[in-house]
Amino acid sequence: MFEVPSLSDLNVGATLPVTLLALGACVLLVVDLFIPRERKSITAWLTAIGIGVSLVFSLLSLSGAVEFGSGELAFSDMYRADRLTDTINVAALITALLGVMVAYDYLERTRLQRGEYYILLMFSAAGAMLMGAANDLVIVFIALELLSIPLYILSGFRRPQEASEESAMKYFLLGAFASGFLIYGIALIYGATGTTNLPEVWDAVAGVVAEDSAAKFLVMIGAGLVLAGLGFKVAAVPFHMWTPDVYQGAPTPVVAYMSVAAKIGGFAALVRVFGMGLSTFVLESGAPAAWQDTIWLVAVLTMLLGNVVAIVQSDLKRLLAYSTIAHAGYILIAVAAAGTAGLEDTAAQAVVIYLIAYAFTNAGAFAVITAMEKDDASNTSLDALRGLASRCPWLAAAMAVFMLSLTGIPLTAGFVGKWFVFKVALQADLVAAAVVGVLTSAVSAYYYLRVVWMMYFEEGEGDAATPPALAWAIGVAAVGTLVLGALPYLLSDMAREITLAFGG
Amino acid sequence: MIGAVLAGFIAALFAPWIHRAARGWAGWLIALVPAGLTLYFGAHLERLAGGETFSAVYAWVSSLGTDLAFRLDGLGALFALIISGVGALVIIYGGGYLKGDPQLGRFYAYVLMFMGAMLGVVLADNLITLFVFWELTSISSYLLIGFYHSEADSRASALQALLVTGTGGLAMLAGLVLLGQATGTYTISEMVTQPQAAQSSSLYGAILVLVLLGAFTKSAQFPFHFWLPGAMAAPTPVSAYLHSATMVKAGIYLLARLSPVLGGTDAWQISVTAVGGVTMVLGAYVAWRQVDLKRILAYSTVSALGMLVFLLGIGTEYAVKAALTVLLAHSLYKGTLFLVAGALDHETGTRDVTRLGGLWRAMPWTGTAALLGAASMAGLPPLFGFISKEVFYKAAYDAPDLAGPLTAAAVTGSVFMVTAAALVSLKPFFGARLETPKHPHEAPPSMLLGPVVLAGLGVLFAFVPSWVAEYGIRTAVEATLNHAAEIELELWPGLNVVLLLSLLTVAAGLAVYALRVPLQPWADRVDLGARVGPERGYRVLLGGMLWTADRQTRILQNGYLRVYLMTIVLTTVALTGYTLLTRADIEGVWRLPDARFYEIVVVALIVVAAIVVTQVQSRLAAVLALATVGYGVSLLYIMFGAPDLAMTQFSIETLTVVLFVLVIYRLPRFATLTNRAARLRDALIAASAGVLMTSLVLILTADTSRRHVTTFFSENSVLLAKGRNIVNVILVDFRAFDTLGEIIVLSVAAAGVYALMRLRPERERREALPETRATVELSAMAEADPPAEPQAADSGR
Repeated sequence: MFEVPSLSDLNVGATLPVTLLALGACVLLVVDLFIPRERKSITAWLTAIGIGVSLVFSLLSLSGAVEFGSGELAFSDMYRADRLTDTINVAALITALLGVMVAYDYLERTRLQRGEYYILLMFSAAGAMLMGAANDLVIVFIALELLSIPLYILSGFRRPQEASEESAMKYFLLGAFASGFLIYGIALIYGATGTTNLPEVWDAVAGVVAEDSAAKFLVMIGAGLVLAGLGFKVAAVPFHMWTPDVYQGAPTPVVAYMSVAAKIGGFAALVRVFGMGLSTFVLESGAPAAWQDTIWLVAVLTMLLGNVVAIVQSDLKRLLAYSTIAHAGYILIAVAAAGTAGLEDTAAQAVVIYLIAYAFTNAGAFAVITAMEKDDASNTSLDALRGLASRCPWLAAAMAVFMLSLTGIPLTAGFVGKWFVFKVALQADLVAAAVVGVLTSAVSAYYYLRVVWMMYFEEGEGDAATPPALAWAIGVAAVGTLVLGALPYLLSDMAREITLAFGG
Repeated sequence: MIGAVLAGFIAALFAPWIHRAARGWAGWLIALVPAGLTLYFGAHLERLAGGETFSAVYAWVSSLGTDLAFRLDGLGALFALIISGVGALVIIYGGGYLKGDPQLGRFYAYVLMFMGAMLGVVLADNLITLFVFWELTSISSYLLIGFYHSEADSRASALQALLVTGTGGLAMLAGLVLLGQATGTYTISEMVTQPQAAQSSSLYGAILVLVLLGAFTKSAQFPFHFWLPGAMAAPTPVSAYLHSATMVKAGIYLLARLSPVLGGTDAWQISVTAVGGVTMVLGAYVAWRQVDLKRILAYSTVSALGMLVFLLGIGTEYAVKAALTVLLAHSLYKGTLFLVAGALDHETGTRDVTRLGGLWRAMPWTGTAALLGAASMAGLPPLFGFISKEVFYKAAYDAPDLAGPLTAAAVTGSVFMVTAAALVSLKPFFGARLETPKHPHEAPPSMLLGPVVLAGLGVLFAFVPSWVAEYGIRTAVEATLNHAAEIELELWPGLNVVLLLSLLTVAAGLAVYALRVPLQPWADRVDLGARVGPERGYRVLLGGMLWTADRQTRILQNGYLRVYLMTIVLTTVALTGYTLLTRADIEGVWRLPDARFYEIVVVALIVVAAIVVTQVQSRLAAVLALATVGYGVSLLYIMFGAPDLAMTQFSIETLTVVLFVLVIYRLPRFATLTNRAARLRDALIAASAGVLMTSLVLILTADTSRRHVTTFFSENSVLLAKGRNIVNVILVDFRAFDTLGEIIVLSVAAAGVYALMRLRPERERREALPETRATVELSAMAEADPPAEPQAADSGR
């Protein structure tokens, strides 16, 4: 234990996708200093290349064509490179790539083109990836901060625009608060189990439960606080309140990226912590894990609130903010299902499938808003959509695809995600949650289709500009949404082998 | 077979281009696709009658038991023929009806897309595949109802139809998934071979309710029927196709398809028959009192759909036969009448029956089709409608239970149907010639083909009933019941009770028609509230949802950070506190501290300083008081033997004060903007959070059994690091890298602070204002009501 470990002991190879990305960001930070202000597009390209390289490594690892490193564990059991890690990596990197593409022209025309933007984005992507790979509560925390802090800064990137500054401030203050919850929760779990290593926590919790000591209570409060901390990240009710304000104020490309990346990271961590670490926290033998009820209740509240409140929104960014809250609710159902013994793997698969489907759809939807937005951040209201279809038929068609996918209409990726989530919920006997999910999906049709309606059936001056990079991003997202919807086995095959090493 | 389903979708993609290229002929050209499909399905009839079925499976999500599975059997073929056949006629008709409309290309595309989806529904052999196409029909219906989208009414109707059928569809999905769980298969043809699996399952009740919800909303059954009259906002060919001949029959199809799996139980018979019966009578009753041609037809369609559901509810072999015969007849005559209504509207400019009259001379062909269609609807011989009416009565008359009331209901519904039929055929074409907005003349050939062909088939089928029975009805009945059946249809069954009932029906119906004007005020008094009731329910629900959303936004999502924080804190305190009180073993937790005098003094100092922070009126004083809290804590560190920690705390406190003093002159004037009540509330919340945290700490420290870390370090610090001060050893040895990291972070942070202080906001340098907006906001967030709304809260609609 007190030997200085060598690189091979650390098994750095297994962590290549994320280490390459983080190293790339560090190097770029320096390189960027030598790139003149007016040519920061070079940084964007370098970032894209960096993300691309990391993506290639992730895909190679996912396909099993190349085995990086030796074994799954790295950095003294802190990092776990398994199937879940690979899929989360791919999702996070695709999101990051879309994020760069969406931002490129926007930053140019709003005169915000700075290298830091891309570098911060890279760091936060690394954070999201790490959350999926966390094998230790400490990594969960560090990764969460790595994911969040760049996002706080990015939200305020449109300084000195007030809305942007305000959103950054709010996000940071509430985020810091949530981090406090999380670390307190981790401390309590550590206090009860004497370890922060997730598989060991899993073991120890089983012992704590068997022993029936006061430590049981510590685990309970700890789990609750961790849920609060991570619930903030994924915008679950009642920790969702920052979402509409921040999404409306932050620069749209940032929202396109963070609305997805923060969810990927947050849910990956939830699956790791609850599915893998705390699934033995069963208070009566044969019952599901003690946290299951809480999580599905939170899910139900989240779905109800997100969907119902979205109806009255008149600003697109705000509307989609509530929609992201609603979607957090759907994914939370799957997380709750992981509390039923034997369903941990299936639930994790459903979460990943939903996240990937959601990544294309939601990033795409915000990309379309980016295209509509004027340089002064106006023109994002629902009314601005009027007549968009006649002026920008392709853009409107893409937006329609995204809206249908968010509604969960068959033949789009969104349907596949919901299908897997509801299926696992029914397997876990969470019938009430699944029924609320289905009903709120019906409610959501109301506001998503209003967007389609505005574009196609209302007359107006709706207009947008789609420079090449943005057009590519929207195209990729739309095609991805449709392809994954039409060929769902692409997703299910990719996710099928996800196992949480310690599922029952 | 997948080609047949996809043909519609593929054609839909090209339709706008064909329209652009072929102009006036596009309708005829595009209609070749459904016409070809009609021939394709027709070519299978011979072999289907021989007992064959055709299936095709394409892998989709096999891991979940979901494949693109299609199967053509008698039931599917009957529907597929209606769908493609009527589809071809409607597309040609639409070409004439919407001639010159700039959206015509889109019309073709939507109709073809709908046709593909509808074929998918009736050919699907997998529950999920079925659901997918089912929802696609709802969406294409939405697009088509909203076709005249410049009219608000039309938009509201489209949305209403979508919400009702879409919600029903989702309920159905839940039901289908449960059904799949219960029977262990999602393949329909496998499911029907083992009906017991579903009926003996504990989920049967839930499955039945959910599936019926889907079927009833789609097929406009009471109390969900209100969307169908609203859907009449669609162009008339669309109403004829979707809202009469095909889409609304999807629910009927589902009931027929799943009747071997779910049917036969008391629950099924009672609920399905009752809903169908009520819908049948109500729809017909409301129908004859309308004045809009299309609304008359819409309510009579509701009634006919009720009739079909009613028959499937009875569920005997004869009733199923009757249902499918009625279905075929209805598609023919109602298609005819809708297209006639469209032609009248198109040529005269109005659909109001009270303004139409004596048009026979101007529109003889249309009039002929109308008469034939209406006669079939009224059940007059020698038309196919007559045959269907006979078997319908006989099915009710021979019902195993409650034959009397069922027959009465059937006759009552039919009487009003006769009245409605007279209203749409006799009134516009005969009697005195009335002035119409447009000068009437005969419809163009494209708009005559549809009604004439459909009406003609209604006559033709009546003369070859045995052929229809053999190739159309028998195979469909066998496919529905999943066993062999004997089917006979005849034009002249001989003199019997049923025929007498028919005579009575026609006489009564015509009497109501003749007396409709004096009867109207009486009828209005007996308004069953059916038209208003459920629709009001829909409105109230929708309104309630909007109201809730609006409220939530005003109260919780108001843009104030402190409200957000308050919610989060309260939730945490409530949940954790609840667990704490109910679950925790708190014995031995509340204990008197073993404290020395000067420790108590320091703690008291901290408490006093904390209170001072909240009370002072000067910002500087507050900062200093806060620093006192921090210094107090450092003192405690020293007393418990952690001088290094104390040092860190000291320097951080000092740094904070210094930083604060640097910015303090840029903050706005200190003001108390909250009232007493708000402060009291905040104090309570803060106190509750404090109590919670204290309790947690007490509970944690009460459990002394776990001190892994201390033991490890006290045993190993001398051994491994040659140092006795554990904290020092940890800092410089065990966790040396951490310390290094922290030092780096601190210096980076210091550099950052320095840079920030030099980089004053550009604005400030430019404007040199004493108070910048940023600081106003900062202070606003930190302490009081901001001068204005910080950020536009969600704007209500």
